[in-house]
Amino acid sequence: MSDERTRFANVVLPHLGDAYALARWIARNDSDAEDIVQEACLRAYRGISGFGDVNARGWVLSIVRNTAYTWLKKHRDPKLVAVENVEDVADAATDWDQGPAAPDAGLIERADAARLEAAIAALPDEFRETLVLRELQGLDYRAIAEVTGVPIGTVMSRLARARRRLMALLRKDEE
Amino acid sequence: MTQAADDPVLLVHAYCDGELDPANALALERRMAEDPRLAAERDRILALKRALAKVKPAALPPAGLRGRVERAVGMRRVAPRPTWGALAASIALAVVVSSGATWSLLGPSQSGLATDEVIGSHIRSLMADKPFDVASSITHTVKPWFNSHTVQSPRVVDLEADGFPLLGGRIDVIAKTPVPTLVYGYQKHRISVTEAQGLGAPPPSREAAGYHVIGWTDNGVSYWAVSDVGLAELQQFVKLFRAAPTSQ
Repeated sequence: MSDERTRFANVVLPHLGDAYALARWIARNDSDAEDIVQEACLRAYRGISGFGDVNARGWVLSIVRNTAYTWLKKHRDPKLVAVENVEDVADAATDWDQGPAAPDAGLIERADAARLEAAIAALPDEFRETLVLRELQGLDYRAIAEVTGVPIGTVMSRLARARRRLMALLRKDEE
Repeated sequence: MTQAADDPVLLVHAYCDGELDPANALALERRMAEDPRLAAERDRILALKRALAKVKPAALPPAGLRGRVERAVGMRRVAPRPTWGALAASIALAVVVSSGATWSLLGPSQSGLATDEVIGSHIRSLMADKPFDVASSITHTVKPWFNSHTVQSPRVVDLEADGFPLLGGRIDVIAKTPVPTLVYGYQKHRISVTEAQGLGAPPPSREAAGYHVIGWTDNGVSYWAVSDVGLAELQQFVKLFRAAPTSQ
């Protein structure tokens, strides 16, 4: 095998499972996720000489994320791509003692996986990717900030608001 | 963003994610003890995190994806099978040389290479930004994590009481196969335990580049323990690891 291919096998292939999971959460569709991962891997392969041996997983995931959004823009009807500008929406996590009361912890914990998956899928892109990277892929705040290209403060507020929305959705399901 | 640092709710999230340093965590714990609304928020976040843990094993990559990717970058997935002629020649060779030499020709050469790769993975993990793919001292967290990453979940034992706390796990690639590796701590050192099947018997004990490696086989599964701790400590660890009951 050539040097690039050996490097690709060592750096990218071990994270294929994570890459596919992230693509699937962003695209919300299995076959699109496969196409996205293939495209992302090609990009990673072409850029492998620029990888600096630090945090291969974060590097792979950031390529997958960027590829996913480009791919979706190109292949999906723009009308179907969410246009909500989440940063402007006035449901800041700080409004936590206003509006409908959040459900109690017991109700949240009883939510089954299928309901949670549906609730995650219903989140706006920015919230969904942040929540998935933290809760399903186990990245820390700094790594999420690197993968999504935003400051850590933004990661924190997106994560808080994503969780707040999930809790509200679970409460709605219950009613 | 200074706003994030001042917002108590964002701090509760950061607390639940283990992102606060001890001083800030302590200060926030005091605040939560005094403010029932903050404490309730913490309980909700932790409940949500526990509920989300159930979602994890869902997204496994489809079986053909790896092959598709490897073809896309021009890698061959399967090594060409040996021809009958080559196979017959190797059998002839095996018959000619003595049985002991046959074993060293066929068995350990592959596992010797595997041992080099195990040591390489350990050294690389010591230099990495994040030494594990999953950081957890809880066996219940580490086992399902491997399951959800398409690698067979390894045997996990709890040796904390013996001074070898579990620190986390990672996936190494040995002989082009992803295999599970557990990372234990011993004082300031780390011990990597790699588990694999079908790579031949690991050599009982070796030293390379300042690292000790101890290999053994239990129930048909090969194990390698690598560390820069002294040989006696590593032997003690292996003895405890093999004797300990598997965590469920």
